Amino acid sequence: MNNIYKTPITVVTGCLGSGKTTLLRKLLKKPELEKTAVIVNEFGQVGLDHHLLRKTDETTILLKGGCICCNNREDLENELKSLLNLDQKQEKFNRVIIETTGMADPAPILFTVLTNPILQHHFYIECVITTVDAKNGLLHIKNNPELLKQVTVADKIILTKTDITPPNQKEGVIEQLRIINPAVDIIEVVNGDADVGIIEANSNRPSIDSMFEKKDKKINKNHYSSDIQSISFTFNKPLDWTAFGLWLSALLHANGENIMRVKGLLDVGEKGPIVLNGVQHIIHPPDHLNEWPEGEKQSHLIFILRVIDPDSIYKSLKTFQNFLGSDFELLELNKAL
Amino acid sequence: MCVLCGEFVMQVHWTDQASDDSSQVIVGDQQRDRQRTRIHRTTLCNEILRFYQLTLEEWNGSKFILRDPKGNQEIVHDLGTLWYTAEKILGYAIDPLDPYLLQKLQNK
Repeated sequence: MNNIYKTPITVVTGCLGSGKTTLLRKLLKKPELEKTAVIVNEFGQVGLDHHLLRKTDETTILLKGGCICCNNREDLENELKSLLNLDQKQEKFNRVIIETTGMADPAPILFTVLTNPILQHHFYIECVITTVDAKNGLLHIKNNPELLKQVTVADKIILTKTDITPPNQKEGVIEQLRIINPAVDIIEVVNGDADVGIIEANSNRPSIDSMFEKKDKKINKNHYSSDIQSISFTFNKPLDWTAFGLWLSALLHANGENIMRVKGLLDVGEKGPIVLNGVQHIIHPPDHLNEWPEGEKQSHLIFILRVIDPDSIYKSLKTFQNFLGSDFELLELNKAL
Repeated sequence: MCVLCGEFVMQVHWTDQASDDSSQVIVGDQQRDRQRTRIHRTTLCNEILRFYQLTLEEWNGSKFILRDPKGNQEIVHDLGTLWYTAEKILGYAIDPLDPYLLQKLQNK
């Protein structure tokens, strides 16, 4: 349960040619990342040179009756287990970076690490990074449904090739990414020159704040992601955590495949808030913080949905909380369509 | 492993994660709080499950038992398996977005 004793994992995803390897190559040269193990799925044009580098071939074990997100990545399981062996024998490392292929869905990676009986006690997913090519980003989003998934799952988006992109085109890409995932941090990086901190999770607070800065509602005119919608709530009363857990677990059981992302900072009447982070059927172990981050004490909750109407989520949450006797007051409701 | 039913518990469901993750736990220390939460959860679940003619019973602080009026019963470990088992018994999933369920809840 306590992440202090576990090794953090950073997942790097992004389209083919969007700059994943360039970013990693620069980062891995830094002395701070000397004790980082790297797992790659393919060797791209730009080679990686690192002493703790491993290559796997993507093999996904389809679990019986499982949906697309609840699949086990056996290759990763084996690789992480052998890294664990290595760590306990000789070569100590303090972080793992997994670079996926351009086509990979990050959800099975999260599923593997969070549910494997061994791995869940030794590793945790700290951060999912998606690289997006600023020059061809819109085209990629349009043509690659995988990228859409990678963007919704991401905690951080690294916007690459901004030096060769006209400013208005860059703005267009950023705007589109914000519509798809309002709770994401977008960082511009040229030639992979990024700060080491980029692979670590910052506290969830800034990203949740940033989504509330964008108060102006945007209409999504692009046909290619029109089925992705998001809705965010702000409450000022504590929620009943048991009732909320009941509602969310039932919701995810019935509709998990279409709930691309849940993210929230919830006041449940404890001293600190609960940080909630979920991807489809997979929920990260909720983090109970000891105290509130600076600022006011309010619960924020955001859903990124596919196909489902955001209004129905609102109606359902409201009805359930009323019915289960923990009324909440909704301060704000933002919908990005 | 559950010593009573032999079920291999591999996963702590996210709704069961406790807020206090101090490394030292005294046996029986938080027993009352835990039991109180379980009973509260069972009461809330039954409010919903009633619409599907199902009942949930807390059992000895270790498991839950889900029953239907025909006498079928299943052992349930946590909320994750509850919805799965309910779907198995009913033949369809309990969907909180179901307008019919929401209307019933509102009218109550």
